Amino acid sequence: MLPRCRECSRVHWYPRYICPTCHSTDIEWMEGSGKGTLYTYAVQNRAFGGWAEDAPFVTAYIDLAEGDRMVTVLRGVDPNKPEEIEIGCAVTVEFEEASEDIHIPFWRVAGSES
Amino acid sequence: MSGISRAAAIVGAAEANEIGYPEEPKTSLQLHIEAIKNVSDQTGIPISDIEGIFSAGWSSELAEHLGLHPKYIDTTSVGGCSFEMHVHHALAAIHAGIIDIAVVSHGENGWSRRRIGAGGGGNYSGGGAGSPATEMSMSYGLSGAPSNYSHAMVRHNHRFGTTPEDFAHVAVVTREWAGLNPRAVMHSADTHEFGGPITVEAVQNARLISWPLTLLHVCLVTDHGGAVIVARPEIARSLRTNPVWIAGAAENMSHSNIMEMEDFTSTSAFASSKTAYEMAGLGPKDMEMAMIYDSFTVTAAMTAEMLGLAPRGEGYKLWKNGDAAPGGRFPINTNGGGLSFNHSGMYGMQLLVESYRQLSGTAEDGINGIKGKQTNARTCIVNGTGGSLSTTGTLVLVAD
Repeated sequence: MLPRCRECSRVHWYPRYICPTCHSTDIEWMEGSGKGTLYTYAVQNRAFGGWAEDAPFVTAYIDLAEGDRMVTVLRGVDPNKPEEIEIGCAVTVEFEEASEDIHIPFWRVAGSES
Repeated sequence: MSGISRAAAIVGAAEANEIGYPEEPKTSLQLHIEAIKNVSDQTGIPISDIEGIFSAGWSSELAEHLGLHPKYIDTTSVGGCSFEMHVHHALAAIHAGIIDIAVVSHGENGWSRRRIGAGGGGNYSGGGAGSPATEMSMSYGLSGAPSNYSHAMVRHNHRFGTTPEDFAHVAVVTREWAGLNPRAVMHSADTHEFGGPITVEAVQNARLISWPLTLLHVCLVTDHGGAVIVARPEIARSLRTNPVWIAGAAENMSHSNIMEMEDFTSTSAFASSKTAYEMAGLGPKDMEMAMIYDSFTVTAAMTAEMLGLAPRGEGYKLWKNGDAAPGGRFPINTNGGGLSFNHSGMYGMQLLVESYRQLSGTAEDGINGIKGKQTNARTCIVNGTGGSLSTTGTLVLVAD
């Protein structure tokens, strides 16, 4: 689900109290396509808290098909071969259940094995 | 050139007695107060004459500690560029006739704080708890500045065909400057076990922090205290110190959280420097040196592009071809930078102190430099960057 302004129809991410484009407060949630492209990425060779044991892992910024950008941990890539990851490649969303109420979106390089 | 240009000068710049990695842990307040005392002694301006106080969140604490009742109180705290913004604001306040003398102060125990178990440096509070964007980044394992700036280097590599090795030259040349500054943490093997000259290979082979950034692409975490006094022209001309004129000053921002940064290879320094140049009636070609925030190698090189000092995608060449090095055509980061001199979490004050020293002809005053460090530059562009390539403050400074 993505927030979209009813006035100007622009999708924005992260969710806000006001549309950052036209400043309307009439915002609705719409179902996204789950498609995007890779804008840029990096490897986290060290991390803290709950992520510490997962390092190294690849983080990325995803350009959503609907517009605006989302940060993620990128799946379907090898953190030890970051040079092989291609900026601009197609990515798809998948959700992980964190609790009954919360599902966290992660992005995966389209077609890669899970 | 507009009416506000040169309406005030930086008339002195000093640091705390001990910076870097002090033997005994320091408090941030102590670092502030030492620097303010030292700049007062340097200029001959009594602390009691200070009418405006500018700091990244500390102003009421400092005024109370000094027994001052300032007429102008500014606490702008938007990361490492806050201090360039403070000079901008002090210039405006003096030009408006509200105050005659302002102090801009910095004290940050980025190193000592860790030793006394109070966490890392950078008391930048942008975003923070309750910011949806910050919560969102943290939940994906991103933490600390390196984890984000690495994404900017990868995007720059992709867009312009640059490589991490290209950016490594920034670290190598900046280390050369540190070799001329005995107060630089990485001055030599005597000041730090890993101090002294480095090579591109050494930068690239250092431990990875966030690929493609290795440890030597990343700034230090140290203690620093620094203060500058800004005063109106009549006062500036009456002092024993040399004035350095604030010809241009401006600030801008593109975002707070990097996920809102439209182009990861382009910062608001383009906008803030344009305004500062216009105020000064000068352009990039009139600049003879630069002090550019180097939280990371990529920050400095990209910012050089934004300031009009190099074509887009080619900022790193200033370092790679030796222009920025000691003896080069266009000295940059003559103190040894945040990479090799000192970086306490916010580095904007270190930029101010060094640009004052260079343009006032006091870079080799026996404490802070050795022969070869003083450049011939008469003009300097200073650019601070705060947050995650978020906020920028730019000054065009001119020698008397």
